[in-house]
Amino acid sequence: MGYLLLGIVAGLAAVERKGFLQAMLSRPIALAPLTGLALGDLAGGLAVAAPLELLWLGAVNLGAALPVHEALGTVAVAGGAVLAGQALGTGVTPATAVLALLAGAPLALLGRRADRLVEVANERLALFAEEALRRHHPHAAVRLNLAGLAMPFAIAAVLAPAGAWVAAQLAVRLLHAAPTLDGPLRVGWWAFCGLACAAGAKALRARRAGAIFGVTAAVGLLIGLGLRVAP
Amino acid sequence: MTIRFRTRAHVFWRCLFLQAAWNRRGMQNLGFAYAIEPALDALYADPARREEALARHLGFFNCHPYMAAAIVGGAIHHEELVAAGEEPGAAPLSYKATLQGPLAAVGDGFFWTALRPFFGALAALGALVAGWPLVVAAVLSYNLVHFGLRAALFRAGYREGDAVVGLIARLSLPRMADRLRAAGVALCGAALAALALQAGGVAAGTETAAVLVVGGAAGAGYLALSRGAPLFPAAYLVAMLGTIVAAVTGWDGRF
Repeated sequence: MGYLLLGIVAGLAAVERKGFLQAMLSRPIALAPLTGLALGDLAGGLAVAAPLELLWLGAVNLGAALPVHEALGTVAVAGGAVLAGQALGTGVTPATAVLALLAGAPLALLGRRADRLVEVANERLALFAEEALRRHHPHAAVRLNLAGLAMPFAIAAVLAPAGAWVAAQLAVRLLHAAPTLDGPLRVGWWAFCGLACAAGAKALRARRAGAIFGVTAAVGLLIGLGLRVAP
Repeated sequence: MTIRFRTRAHVFWRCLFLQAAWNRRGMQNLGFAYAIEPALDALYADPARREEALARHLGFFNCHPYMAAAIVGGAIHHEELVAAGEEPGAAPLSYKATLQGPLAAVGDGFFWTALRPFFGALAALGALVAGWPLVVAAVLSYNLVHFGLRAALFRAGYREGDAVVGLIARLSLPRMADRLRAAGVALCGAALAALALQAGGVAAGTETAAVLVVGGAAGAGYLALSRGAPLFPAAYLVAMLGTIVAAVTGWDGRF
């Protein structure tokens, strides 16, 4: 049941990402908690949402360029982390999160390849539409537009649960076989989180981004530490 | 003849499917024809003229999906004039061809590389500081701006036709985009601080190591990405390097 829900969430996200709406619902920050919710662990999904959003902040569809399929990667990573946490009985931890990331993130690259196939299939749809119009079926011609939503849905609905399964299996087996890795993997996760923030800052291509990024991080730290020591 | 509000609302709804069948040959051509079809049905009672109008909108079209709303609205404006015999059939096409490139550039620059990343970073910081309610608030706020502008562009395109260009220019979107990008970077910095504090846990005195790991990875990562390092290998390298160094030094990962 969990995998079925995961497939539906991933499929809908793949459609929302480009074909319909584009209202940020397929961005990692919204999709990771939704993935967690579908698997019964909203907090687990939320735990990986922010780093994934920042990592893929620059994944945007500019013109004909194809970005990585961040929605597919997000469902695989968040789903894998939540499933692994459930199997281990620990919930999502930094160790399960980083292992799910390492195993699930390549799906974002695979998704980009799948997007190319979708574009080729859509080209045929456009040709069919022109043919239908030549045969005086205007309504049938334009309704072919909606058929373009089917393939992205199907691809994501199959690949994302498969990716989450692989990620969860890897995390569970590795942490069972080598429980002492839990500590070092924590460090790996937090290091990744640091890089994700840098990737977000870089992706925005603002003037003096490096200085703004460094100064706000330092000020944020000082404020956070001040709040922590305050009675 | 003018198009009724209900039909225009139907066209606007269909605009949301503009990229459903995006392809490299005609790009958003099928989506555009699908969107404008209800308006053409209302304007042309003669099936031959209706098909002729639909055929011209099946030609190449590509724009930013939000900004395209202005062009769909403007195309209806021109089709009304064509249907009334006040303009040649080529007028809507020339309107589309003139505006699609510039509006795509404005839309990409404002929505995709500024507004959405800004709200993404805001939502990420919100998730770290206060959990899902702030994520919901950020996504809702983004959509308030997004749908507000999308609907306003559609209406302006329909009412003003070619004059919509002046209206869009007055919005000063490129200047706003610059500010949003800078604010987005600041939010990434704040998120870095929040993550470092989260990594340090709640025990006093654990922050130094956390700041060194999270901040060090961010600093090194920023420099590497600035020098053209690809994102995926960099992310893998940092995660694995952190893990390996901790494993080799026997660090249990507790800051």
